[in-house]
Amino acid sequence: MVTQPSRSDRRELVHERIFTAAGVTAAVALVTTIVLFLLELFIASRASRAAFGLPFLWRSEWNPVTEKFGALPMIVGTLVTGFGALLISTPFALGIAIFLADYADRKLAEPIKYLIGLLGGLPSVIFGLWGLFVLVPIVSKFEVWFGKLVGSEALVASGTTGVGLLAAILLLAIMILPFSASLILESLLVVPTELKEGALALGATKWDAIQNVELPYVQKSTVGALVLSLGRALGETMAVTMVIGNGMKMPTTLFDPANTLASAIANQFLEATSPVYVGSLIQLALILFVIAIIINIVARVILRRGVQQ
Amino acid sequence: MKNKRHVSILLTLLAVVAVLASGCSSQRGSTTVKELSGAGATFPYPLYSKMFDTYDSATGVRVNYNSIGSGGGIKALTDKTVDFGASDAFLTDQEEAAMGAPVLHIPTCIGAVVLSYNLDGNPALKLDGTVLAGIFLGKVAKWNDPAISTLNPSVSLPDLAITVVHRSDGSGTTSIFTNYLAAVSPTWKSAVGAGKSVSWPTGIGGKGNDGVAGMISQTKGSIGYIELVYAVQSNMPFASLKNASGAYIVPSLASSAAAAAVSLPNDLRVVIVNSPGADAYPISAFTWILVYKEQNYAGRTLAQAQALGKLLTWMLTDGQSINEGLSYARLPAPAVTKALALVSSMTYGDTAIP
Repeated sequence: MVTQPSRSDRRELVHERIFTAAGVTAAVALVTTIVLFLLELFIASRASRAAFGLPFLWRSEWNPVTEKFGALPMIVGTLVTGFGALLISTPFALGIAIFLADYADRKLAEPIKYLIGLLGGLPSVIFGLWGLFVLVPIVSKFEVWFGKLVGSEALVASGTTGVGLLAAILLLAIMILPFSASLILESLLVVPTELKEGALALGATKWDAIQNVELPYVQKSTVGALVLSLGRALGETMAVTMVIGNGMKMPTTLFDPANTLASAIANQFLEATSPVYVGSLIQLALILFVIAIIINIVARVILRRGVQQ
Repeated sequence: MKNKRHVSILLTLLAVVAVLASGCSSQRGSTTVKELSGAGATFPYPLYSKMFDTYDSATGVRVNYNSIGSGGGIKALTDKTVDFGASDAFLTDQEEAAMGAPVLHIPTCIGAVVLSYNLDGNPALKLDGTVLAGIFLGKVAKWNDPAISTLNPSVSLPDLAITVVHRSDGSGTTSIFTNYLAAVSPTWKSAVGAGKSVSWPTGIGGKGNDGVAGMISQTKGSIGYIELVYAVQSNMPFASLKNASGAYIVPSLASSAAAAAVSLPNDLRVVIVNSPGADAYPISAFTWILVYKEQNYAGRTLAQAQALGKLLTWMLTDGQSINEGLSYARLPAPAVTKALALVSSMTYGDTAIP
């Protein structure tokens, strides 16, 4: 009777140690993986840096025949499509989340939530097919209409394919919408009821409560949700490849074919054999990695400032 | 005590079985090989998988083929992780140097690249090399350009912008097509050049044959290049092309095979685009299997070398009957003779493989 608790104590101590060890191992493994990942990308892209150095970042020629490479068109393509998609999808995501959290009744909200989840889980190649067969023809019609509106002969003459930056932006906006909407919704749902009811009790309208109580409360997690969505947009490959036109030249309008870092790598890596070519593609991956890190850091800085104020 | 004895008897039995088994397998390994592996080009994959399936049921030798792309196949052979590689473009001098040992190029079939387009009424178009280069350089920008209409007096061509569709991924198809353009147009050769992927002066890119075909079917006024096999299977219209002897040739298995019915170099490491043959379709090319000439490397056995030689010989002889059913052109007899000579030039330890 006396030894019983001590034995279980000891057993618990052992369990705790095992658990701690497992936790530490997992944490260390995660960090190590990321560091090794960066290191590997850095080492594997040596040939490219040796050949082009830093100007690789702002040169816009990509010629596998003469082996002259520059990443600028793909960097621009990645940032324009990513931020463009975020810009378009954010108002919708906020609207959907607020509607589901505060306006829709359960009978309506539950099926919508289910559909959003379903949309978020669709493989990106399906979005790509839909984009190619449905979205691209619409964009193409818009292009012709817009060309006539601004009287640009060049747009009407050459840019009527529909594939290009704009199609990619719209498709990405739709693809990240369920993602950001459901993340924002999750955070809206955990706003304490006391806060909401307090605001209403003080005579605030529903909209006042949302604007002054709920939205400030979820500000931080909303920025987090948007950064996650942006990350998804920047790294999306298959769907983008199918609608962006895969032009390796610097785009000059939203209707031009362009390319993103991820899509260029996926397209060209298999058949790239020369060390400089392979190195340059891996260098693109390194740039994408660094862009993702920078965006995360910037998001953190914004969040901290927001909290301090 | 009794238990222990049981265990020791069991262990002894196991050891005996293990020794017997290993003895057996090493003995059999020196006489027959049941498995070969290869990797590379995606273009001949349907043909190879049918060939290897047939070969397995005929001989009991399994061939694992991974269609990871020509580049991947070349890399796998360089790393010596496969028995053979497969490529739609022959090795560049740089790639061959990286191999570190002489490599044989064994052609297995002939592929053709066709120009498909999207115009109302699907008119049968005729094109020549100069006009084609002009289109892909962006200099011939409209369908009613005199350059095209003089070749097609009977077709009424619309006042519509030409949208060029090309491959966005590196591919043997692009290599064949750009090699043709470089062969017929000095401007193309100096401005763009030839390769598995090039810096396109104009147009939009689709991934794979299906990507290009999708873009073409989506876009009025587009023109793009795809493999003959793919165009036939998906019922797409394609243009006839003026060949080196001045005749307009409709791409087909017969006309692409005719491109190889000319005098060929003994190593068969040759681009047969713009072939001088009178009936030859000008954008035709071999696809090759790549093997090391000296088979005694990386601990390979004589039996493996023999099995590989037998497989290649079969693919060049009996296996050829599979080609046409799958829309791949057969090798003409002179090409087969030269290819068989290459296979028998393989060595093991510097002596011919028995």
